[in-house]
Amino acid sequence: MGVNTYDAIIIGAGHNGLIAGAYLARAGKKVVILERREIVGGAAVTEEIFPGYRFTEFSYVVSLLRPEIIRDLELPRHGLKILPLPSTVTPMDNGDYLAAWPDHEPTRRELYRHSPKDAEAADEYSRVMARAAKAIKPVLSLVPPDPSSMSVRDMLGLLKLGQFAKSLSEKELYRIAKLVTQSSADLLNEWFEFGPLKGTKSASGIIGTFLGPHSPGTAYVLLHHYMGEIDGAFRAWGFAKNGTGGVTAAIAASARAIGAEIRTNASVANVIVKGGRAVGVALENGDELHAKVVMSAADPKRSFLSFVESKHFPDEFVQQIKNFRVRGSSGKVNIALSGLPDFTCIKGESPLHKGAISISPSIDYIERAYDEAKYGQYSQNPYIDMIIPSMIDRDMAPPGHHVMSCFVQYAPYDIEGGWDDAKRDAFGETVINTIEKYAPNIRKIIVGKQVITPKDIERIAGITGGNIFHGELLLHQLFFLRPAPQWADFRTPLPGYYFGASGAHPGGGVMGAAGQLAAREVLKDWR
Amino acid sequence: MADVIIIGAGLNGLVAANYLAKAGKRVLVLERRAIVGGQAATESFGANFKADALHAGGQLRPDIVTDLDLTRHGLPESKSEPLISLLPDGRQLRLTADDSSETLASIRALSTKDAERWPEFVAFMNEAASFLDSAYRTPMPRLPHVSLSEGMPLAQLGLRLRRLGARDMFRVIRMLPMSALELTEEWFESDALRAAIGAVAVHNSTLGPMSAGSGYTLMHNWLNRGGPGNERVEGGVGRIADALVTALKSRGGEVRTNADVKTILTDDLKVTGVKLANGEEIAAPIVISGADPRHTLLDLVGAPELPPEFVWHTQSIKMRGAVAKVHLLTDGNHGLPNGTVIIAPAIRYVERAYDAAKYGQISQAPYLELTANGNVVSIHFQFAPYTLRDSEWSQARAELERIAVDTASAALPQLKASIRETKSLTPLDLEKTYGLTEGDLNHGQLILDQMFFMRPMPGWSTHKTPVDNLYLCGNGVHGGGGLSGASGRNAATAVLKG
Amino acid sequence: MLETLELKRTPFHERTSRLSVAQNWRRWAGYMVVGSYDLSLDHEYWAIRDRAALIDVSPLMKYMIEGPDAARLLHKVTPRDVLKMKEGVVSYTGWCDEDGKLLDDGTIARLGPQLFRMTSAEPSLRWLAMNAVGMDVKVTEVTDQMAALSLQGPKSRAVLNRICRDKLDPLKYFRVAENAIGNIPVSISRTGYTGDLGYEIWIPAEQALPVWDALMEAGDDYGITPCGILAMDMARVEAGLFMVDVDYNASTHTWIEGQKSSPLEMGLDWAVNLDKKGYFNGRRALEREKREGSSWKLVGLDIAWEGLEKLYGEVGLPPQIPSMAVRGSLPVMIDGRQIGYASTSTWSPVLKKYIALAHVQRPYYEPGTQLTIEITVEHHRKQTPAKVVTLPFYDPAWKKK
Repeated sequence: MGVNTYDAIIIGAGHNGLIAGAYLARAGKKVVILERREIVGGAAVTEEIFPGYRFTEFSYVVSLLRPEIIRDLELPRHGLKILPLPSTVTPMDNGDYLAAWPDHEPTRRELYRHSPKDAEAADEYSRVMARAAKAIKPVLSLVPPDPSSMSVRDMLGLLKLGQFAKSLSEKELYRIAKLVTQSSADLLNEWFEFGPLKGTKSASGIIGTFLGPHSPGTAYVLLHHYMGEIDGAFRAWGFAKNGTGGVTAAIAASARAIGAEIRTNASVANVIVKGGRAVGVALENGDELHAKVVMSAADPKRSFLSFVESKHFPDEFVQQIKNFRVRGSSGKVNIALSGLPDFTCIKGESPLHKGAISISPSIDYIERAYDEAKYGQYSQNPYIDMIIPSMIDRDMAPPGHHVMSCFVQYAPYDIEGGWDDAKRDAFGETVINTIEKYAPNIRKIIVGKQVITPKDIERIAGITGGNIFHGELLLHQLFFLRPAPQWADFRTPLPGYYFGASGAHPGGGVMGAAGQLAAREVLKDWR
Repeated sequence: MADVIIIGAGLNGLVAANYLAKAGKRVLVLERRAIVGGQAATESFGANFKADALHAGGQLRPDIVTDLDLTRHGLPESKSEPLISLLPDGRQLRLTADDSSETLASIRALSTKDAERWPEFVAFMNEAASFLDSAYRTPMPRLPHVSLSEGMPLAQLGLRLRRLGARDMFRVIRMLPMSALELTEEWFESDALRAAIGAVAVHNSTLGPMSAGSGYTLMHNWLNRGGPGNERVEGGVGRIADALVTALKSRGGEVRTNADVKTILTDDLKVTGVKLANGEEIAAPIVISGADPRHTLLDLVGAPELPPEFVWHTQSIKMRGAVAKVHLLTDGNHGLPNGTVIIAPAIRYVERAYDAAKYGQISQAPYLELTANGNVVSIHFQFAPYTLRDSEWSQARAELERIAVDTASAALPQLKASIRETKSLTPLDLEKTYGLTEGDLNHGQLILDQMFFMRPMPGWSTHKTPVDNLYLCGNGVHGGGGLSGASGRNAATAVLKG
Repeated sequence: MLETLELKRTPFHERTSRLSVAQNWRRWAGYMVVGSYDLSLDHEYWAIRDRAALIDVSPLMKYMIEGPDAARLLHKVTPRDVLKMKEGVVSYTGWCDEDGKLLDDGTIARLGPQLFRMTSAEPSLRWLAMNAVGMDVKVTEVTDQMAALSLQGPKSRAVLNRICRDKLDPLKYFRVAENAIGNIPVSISRTGYTGDLGYEIWIPAEQALPVWDALMEAGDDYGITPCGILAMDMARVEAGLFMVDVDYNASTHTWIEGQKSSPLEMGLDWAVNLDKKGYFNGRRALEREKREGSSWKLVGLDIAWEGLEKLYGEVGLPPQIPSMAVRGSLPVMIDGRQIGYASTSTWSPVLKKYIALAHVQRPYYEPGTQLTIEITVEHHRKQTPAKVVTLPFYDPAWKKK
């Protein structure tokens, strides 16, 4: 094989691309992973935007990364450490707060002081959700069968699915069916009465979606977020040492150690098609690389509408990809701080600074934030999920200083009139204003800030539409419909071309399942 | 003594009664009101002021008409109307479930491309609706342990879906959880056209065209209406009920009006009969309720008699009605064109109308459907939520009427001056007069988590309840929603099997 | 600041913490309570069996249930015939989900025609509220407002008689009556968790300490001894009393069906009144189970000392028995095949026996059946003979007198 000849080319060194590459290399294939940017990581990067302050730029928490990937790729040996995120606190408008810890007893006591009824309901609720998450988990590692197909593989897949459904108890089955179809507002209203609790729980149902808590289907996303698993422990969210970039750095190191080649500054212009097969890629610098198999870990739009000429796909498929919804809805504000934000409700430095701080006082608050986005505006009173990484990992900022990561919703990609610098600044101001209501000293301690709109996510991380999941987690874009009907098995209508990214089953989050499953399918087809 | 007592002489109750009477059962239907028909009532609100109170049109499923031989018993003729969307620039968008030249011309005025796609869209919608009709006919067994005999019809339904071919099969599957906007965006470019379809989608539902699941309600309404416009009934929808009563009597069944069931009598989860408001007790081995599930179970049976988790599920049925009616007696110069007229000029208009409902407010710019019957104009008003956050319905009637008339008059300038009398029905009236809990015409919202296997609630899609021999036949169970009679038919089948 | 992160302290904490030599604290329902005051359990255990042991049981969940439908609510929640329950009576009961599986167990005391006090191990407010839909009844949690002391042991009556307004002699087993200690109004029930003569005293939380002091003073002549929950744990096994989430799982806490237990399986047949009128939770499932027989039963296992001596003897050791109750699952077998498991086992100081509470499959749960139980002898797993016996293991004549 020549220098530019490989068994497999992976487009994109985000976590899915790296994982797919590592698995293929592990199977003895000669693999190259091509990255457009000068650094690997995709949307899971840590960058020092201001000297000394390291921002976990886009994705900022880890919970879904599959433990088997951590084991298979020996990621701990390559530096992966997932540190626990010990709490969540929701500041309330009356100056009080609602806190939650991983230990259910203090959480219960805390909630009890707000609502005794909810304190008990919350216990039961979390058990029910954990059981549902456990029950649905096997589906995540399943290659979705095509219900329209008569092939043996798909029929077996359907059968497996049927058996899975039968293995559940009646309660579990219906619960899952409800969770998949319900709105998070409806779900939470069935259980709880306390506004900040419902607001905070509903928020995890809308992260990364262009939906409000009253939209059907958001309860499922809530479950998706419940599936977090670190070291085999259910429901634990974590923060990766060195930020989310630490995760991709470890995967990249592992991939290299196994023998995969990673090329940065290697932007793919198009996939080379010969005789109806993908046989390689052409880079923007003119280089051509050849391989038996090409896999894209980019978003579906770029993978199918930009890298490959439409004539190589059936019209219906092209139409379906065009119809695939990738509307970004969230922004990030990363802030370098000279001190610790002083939240009125938690007075002084507190263990709660080590966890998430959620601006989500009620379901209505979030729904109204969504209403504005629906009509093409960013939210004037947005939902914000903050963490202070430097409180968890002291290496993220200079001593005594801090970095704060603020995930903000909603900021629509298709903002009325389009995004420009002035709008980005105004959006950043809105976020700071919102934080200031709860932490009045925030402006005084800002050393620098980076405001990221969905347009910036598109520009920097290369995700069309700037959706953090490469495609909204909508019911009609999940499982055997992701990214398009009949093509949910990581293959594409173009032989030799595979697709293994967040836009494929089972969807987004720093989970790695898409890359892992896609690599497995590539190997199954290997001749 | 009756073999079966049916609570409520609405269409579903009467359909169920007829099926059971036809199978030789002695049936007694008890109706709270002085008139039959339930939601399908044609009522007189004054001299020369008669209107279809809640539904401007409707039709029973054709198989019910045939099975019960209703034409012979006086079932009235009905005909489907075009949907006419009044646009701010004075134009009218006219939609029918076909490729008539008028329809295509009116769409072409908005977009040539959309006019070209319309016939394919109608064909697809008809196909989707017909699939839904089959689904509504298919019994939904209790999961996950489905017996062979229960599984067969389901398998057939699955095959029917596959026979649509991969393309349409996926279109149908995708459509259910989609929003009407997402769906129409895939088909059409004209916002006015999208909005008109979006309005059909959210009709009778507390959803906006941007809500996930409004694809399903579009399919549902398209099925029940037979297209975008209403199926108008000659002489009023009340005549459908009259025909059913005639048919029932000919089969030996009995209907008692002014018979207000207050309690369903049970003993340790077994039904024994009913008790009326006047204290009369009537024993029966089987009771079928056409009232909504929540009222039936929590009020008539009573929560204390039921398992707690079941009570919780019943309380959790989403029944947030947001429909109000404003009937107007005019001097005849109302200026309404012939057809089902709607005020839903833009997607955002309809969506904003829905936004109000989320926060317990009356839409200031509502989606309206207007139908005329001689001098009477009926306005269907969305969204007027049952639970008002800052007011009460006893105080909000004037506001409702004002918004309805002002909004309609903006598009129909002659209307206001022609009004002689006004009769409005708030969601609270829907509850009080028609027995619709929270004013929900569907006895439970038609949302994804309350359909098929989960209607009326998880585990109870079989028309049964935890109370032995108490069945449900109203709109709140599988097949229900609208005036199709499907849930009544399904319940009767379940009772006869059980 | 962040007080909810800390364990709660019972109203007796000021006294118990001062007396706690061992600093052996346990978590109980979000409270910290004394595991044992002493470095060994002997002294406290024998207080229960021979003198009077004073145990702080304040963490018990306590609810007041009041209103015209109070009896109706409990009649629906529990399998006891609450409608027929007389004032002044306390009933021990388990309660079930709709599938007839245990959620929890505790006591209900009828304090008036429309007033009950219920105790439970698990938070039950939500469950009671779910059951109370459509009823005219008010449920109030009084866990934090009501302190509770358990005075157990043959001398407990004598101690109380010294300081109570009303003598305790007329108070029969599982009865409750209002009383006063000094000028503090208390409610005293003849109940407990030890299988000995004993009383539980229900006290307004703010007057907890004077009651403690009065009891300690009055009991001095009788050898009253503050006792931690570890000694009580041994006594309750001897008494054949089980504990939620140790000997059975609350059905809401389980992951799989097999982890659930019904009251019939737990041997509570006597507390399941299938002949009572009307619907109650789990009725149909329990009726079916009664008809068809239970697949499992909780039984007592009498572990033969000779077997232990033999196995330990083989490695040159005398039998090594843990000095407190063990809440670890031990396989129970017949002919080398597992047919059950012990959920709690303990050395019984009064019986001089090694005993266990065990879940055993049909048909091996009949009294007298010879089974074997696993013990670990010098890191090797062995089987030793054990016999199925009727509970309780220890039933002193004076308990109900």
